[in-house]
Amino acid sequence: MSERDLATRLHLPTLGATAVIVAVWSLLSWRYGAYVLPSPLSVVRGFGEILATGEVWKHTGASLYRILVGFGGAVAIALLMGLASFLSSRARSVVHDFLAILNATSVFVWIVISIIWFGLSNWAPIFTTFMITLPVVASNIVEGVENVDRRLLEMGDVYRLPGREKFRAIVIPSTLPYLVAGMKIGFGLALKVSVVAEIFGVTSGIGYIMNYSREILATQMVFVWALVMILVMMVTDKLVFDSISRRLARWR
Amino acid sequence: MAIKLRVSGVGKDYLIPIIESVSFSVEAGEFVCLLGPNGCGKTTLLRIIGGIEPATRGAVLLDDRPVVAGDPHSRKVGVVFQEDRLLPWMTLAENVALVLKPLGLPAAERRTITRRHLGLAGLAGFEDYYPGRVSGGMRQRAAIARALAIEPDVLLMDEPFGALDAQNRRIMQNEVRRIWKETGRTILFVTHSIEEAVAIGTTLVMMSARPSRIRELIRNDGRSERAKLIDDLNTMIMEEVERQQGGAPS
Repeated sequence: MSERDLATRLHLPTLGATAVIVAVWSLLSWRYGAYVLPSPLSVVRGFGEILATGEVWKHTGASLYRILVGFGGAVAIALLMGLASFLSSRARSVVHDFLAILNATSVFVWIVISIIWFGLSNWAPIFTTFMITLPVVASNIVEGVENVDRRLLEMGDVYRLPGREKFRAIVIPSTLPYLVAGMKIGFGLALKVSVVAEIFGVTSGIGYIMNYSREILATQMVFVWALVMILVMMVTDKLVFDSISRRLARWR
Repeated sequence: MAIKLRVSGVGKDYLIPIIESVSFSVEAGEFVCLLGPNGCGKTTLLRIIGGIEPATRGAVLLDDRPVVAGDPHSRKVGVVFQEDRLLPWMTLAENVALVLKPLGLPAAERRTITRRHLGLAGLAGFEDYYPGRVSGGMRQRAAIARALAIEPDVLLMDEPFGALDAQNRRIMQNEVRRIWKETGRTILFVTHSIEEAVAIGTTLVMMSARPSRIRELIRNDGRSERAKLIDDLNTMIMEEVERQQGGAPS
């Protein structure tokens, strides 16, 4: 391995750029004060605090629970939509139109509606997450179903594979990569959206605690929780989705 | 010999007529090669015979029973397509075993049959390889093994070696010829290569330009001289190609 490869593998260029940013950040923080821009050191200290008190698990857990329910529900419904659009072309065009409408709807619409419908409860962020991630996951699955190789299905017909066998052996394996890609994007979106929805009405979760920190003028904690969000995102990407993708690609 | 397959007056129109009317019959154990200029409907004819698409006119009888598209025939038909059409996420053995499932055989027997046919196709030792890990020639051989594994009454092959280089093509021709001799299957083989047809077919069906009919049906029993046969067929195909292009020889 050349020196250059090694440097890239260790993300040296990124680390270098980060060092520059941290330096500039420190300068700006010193110039404008901790309320506007807390120093890097205070962010690190704040992170240590929430780790020590265990507060990090409470709010991350609350957010993840809402994401899993809302996003999990979205994946389940998206799978049904994929199945329907595989079975009937009429269902496919209905699904297409609905997804287009859902895709065009703003996060804020769902936040407001969910507060009206569910009040200040857990269900508000769950519902918002569900409505926002559904079109993303479903679009991917439907696309996957549409991209099933007709020639392979024809092969299945020639050898008289029954419908469920064709589904199991041909449709599911060729749709899986689309499902995983959709879930990866959907999960990232779920994390970002549920946090916004948590600003309203609930008393736990990363979104709630960020907003609360802002209200009590603890700006460094806003940065700390942003850091937590980024870490959750990166860890699930690496641990969950990358390993699923690798497993799916074992025959490539 | 008994008539295995009877094609009578089969025609097909898409936006324009492709096949006008084709009739011939195939005896059990024959190796029939379908020849003709590009676009004359060789593949379409094969698909009609295989029950993959319906004919516009005429009928196909397999063991005296009509072949109806979309309606499974009581006799088994194996098809080898231009592409291998293996499932990339299944090993070669799983690919072959998959098509044995509808036959209702127990799992152990499926495994035995799979091994035997992959072996027959020269793939012993490669059973657990994914298609992406073996060469194009080996994939096509696995597709042939899959088609033979169901012990088809008729084996339809649509330019199965089109994607192979000259050397692999020669090897595969010999393999198919050998498998045909060993199993005694009835084979219908579409090709655009006259040399290939003369080398492996017992009956050569030369189709005319679109809308096609049968121009010539030749028994390739070794009595006519091979070089002359190839020459004659080449002349025929050139005439048909010219006709298809509007008849103006350039």
